[in-house]
Amino acid sequence: MSSLPSAPPKPPLWRDTRVLRWAFQILVLAIVAGVIYWLYSNYQTNIAKSSIPTDLRFLDNPTSFTIPGNDLNQSQPVRDAFVQGFYNTLRVAIVGILLTTILGTLVGIARLSKNFMVRLVATSYVELIRNIPLLLLLTFMNLAVVLQTFPRIEDAWLPLDLFVVSNRGIAIPWFEGSGAILLAILATALVVTWLVVKIRGRVSDSTGKPARSLVWGGPTFIVLMIGGWVLLGYDWVLPFVDDRATSGGLRLDPSFFALLVTLVVYTSAHVAEIVRGSIQAVAKGQGEAADAIALSGGQKMRLVILPQAFRIAMPALGNQYLNLIKNSSLGATISYFELTQIAQITVGNGSPAVPAFTLTLLVYLMISLVTSVIVNIANRRLALVER
Amino acid sequence: MKKTVAIMAALAAVTLVVSGCAAAEEDTTSTETAATETATMETASSVLDSVKEAGVVKCGTRDALPGFAVLQEDGTHVGFDSDFCRAIAAAVLGDADAVEMVDLETADRFTALQSGAVDVLVRNTTWTASRDGGEAATFLHPNFYDGQGMMVSSDSGYANVSDMNGAVVCVAKGTTTEGNAALESSRLGLDWEVRSFDETDLILEAFLAGQCDGWSSDVSQLTGLRSAYPSGADALLILPEVFSKEPLAPAVLDGDTQWAQIVNWTILATIQAEEFGITSANVDTFASSEDVSIQRFLGLEIASDEGSAVLDPGLGLPADFAYQVVKQVGNYGEIFAAHLTPLGLERGVNSLWTDGGLMYAPPYR
Repeated sequence: MSSLPSAPPKPPLWRDTRVLRWAFQILVLAIVAGVIYWLYSNYQTNIAKSSIPTDLRFLDNPTSFTIPGNDLNQSQPVRDAFVQGFYNTLRVAIVGILLTTILGTLVGIARLSKNFMVRLVATSYVELIRNIPLLLLLTFMNLAVVLQTFPRIEDAWLPLDLFVVSNRGIAIPWFEGSGAILLAILATALVVTWLVVKIRGRVSDSTGKPARSLVWGGPTFIVLMIGGWVLLGYDWVLPFVDDRATSGGLRLDPSFFALLVTLVVYTSAHVAEIVRGSIQAVAKGQGEAADAIALSGGQKMRLVILPQAFRIAMPALGNQYLNLIKNSSLGATISYFELTQIAQITVGNGSPAVPAFTLTLLVYLMISLVTSVIVNIANRRLALVER
Repeated sequence: MKKTVAIMAALAAVTLVVSGCAAAEEDTTSTETAATETATMETASSVLDSVKEAGVVKCGTRDALPGFAVLQEDGTHVGFDSDFCRAIAAAVLGDADAVEMVDLETADRFTALQSGAVDVLVRNTTWTASRDGGEAATFLHPNFYDGQGMMVSSDSGYANVSDMNGAVVCVAKGTTTEGNAALESSRLGLDWEVRSFDETDLILEAFLAGQCDGWSSDVSQLTGLRSAYPSGADALLILPEVFSKEPLAPAVLDGDTQWAQIVNWTILATIQAEEFGITSANVDTFASSEDVSIQRFLGLEIASDEGSAVLDPGLGLPADFAYQVVKQVGNYGEIFAAHLTPLGLERGVNSLWTDGGLMYAPPYR
């Protein structure tokens, strides 16, 4: 390399593209930082003029409101209300993401069905939902479905005597006892099941016999769960109507229900399109190869197409999950006590607006960033490793 | 690709650092700016100047509260609060119609005041310590003393608040009602579920559908809402208990004493006028009044042997502001009778002090 004849002369600094590139980027950075600082100092000046607090000390003031379905009381600080709001946001987000993935995948597959009716229904669903504003859908779900279709508490529906459905919420049977121990049982069952599946995989690899992970893993999980349940003396509690409310069981807030259903219905229409596109993006030869080794339709989808489709879909799915989390803030309009609602209420009850909303904003940012990290890890695990 | 990511990360880092530094310095800078602000504040112009310059008072109000402020089809606002907005315009500019009504959501009202979007807030706002301290609002003489009550449907079987064990109580979001309802529930051990909604319409829908057992708000508001209920006022019942103090007062931004005094004395003028028996109909007959108190109040020339004088107490208001307020809008009793009496509201604690109520104006001299 060193023996190359006469290297071209270096250009002067102001024409060196590498230097220019850096200089330009530093300039942009400086402008952005400057604008932000200017806005912030303006805010500081204006706020100081009207002596509005700018710190987070309001978090230690007592709350002056209550949260439905929660025993938060007025002796607790505003901080605790925010924590409850955070939990409620997480609750609707996690359940929503799980249900959205399942429904979205099913609809996405249905969009490609050979059956005309199935395809038509799936297509209509996607086209209808994707073209409606989310807030409108939520308002409709709350006013028309929860308030008007569900009965009053006096004439609540009692399907199988297991549930209580009224426009004050849906009560479902729930367990009695410590949730932490139940979680421990669940974790143990999951770990053992994972081990069994792993072992089956290894056996399959060495013998060439089918792994049948579901046949082995499913019962393992169920037996462990039931075993733990019975052994530790857990019991079901059935809900019943008690005067103007429900007692026993777990009550899903009507606004939780409306928000969850809306988010799932809305987001899964988008997820369905992603899944459909990803399935179509899987090389045609893969499906043909699966046909060639005589895999059934279900096996072909489950073992060949979907694993590759999800590899393609993952980044786009991550975006939809983020959308779902952020959209959960619309719950504030229908009195679901998530973060935004809590922020609005504490501001209405004397907390300073800008710090309270800044805090809320940062919490959403944090949730979204953590979700992104999880999606990125999943994406890296799934991505095709090129050597 | 990698480069873009790096740049984005660098940008984000810089933003965080900048805001972080600023936040860390917050305490020191805020005291510094506070010091410089007090210096500049003396020279800063009052809202009065900007109002005179604009020729219009921007009054924060609402659009659909029967009796207090209702937006009419022709674009005007009619109601008790709206009349006080008009009274302020009459006092400052001599023209009750020189007012721009700005409809505000409950949760936005203080932000609108802080940002200068409105000059004064007359929007049945309860005067509380936290709002005085934390919202940069200066509250003036209440124009209505209210209290929180409970409205239920007539066939619910509830006769008292204490009957409502385990009830769902619906309220408007961002108001003192949430806290009062929670407090009353724990005081009586009733275990209420308090749901809060953005708008009155949404509460009405939930109430009609039977999601709420009770609708809690200031009694004056409940009375107004009851009178406008779709299936008639008789379908609803306002329970006898009143479980909070709600002095509804106009508010202006902290730090402008002159403007605060102007709004305060406008409210007081309506009360004083009622005490003197001066109404919009008879105010002109007082032009020849010999009563020095009334002469002072209406800005008339007080003649004596040594000449004559007109009282200017230095509020920054024209000498005849009280005359304009009473002539163009009316005295307190007239405003009340025009908007609140038709709803079925009694004067009660809002009577003049001479009738055993709380409406009392300091002497105008």
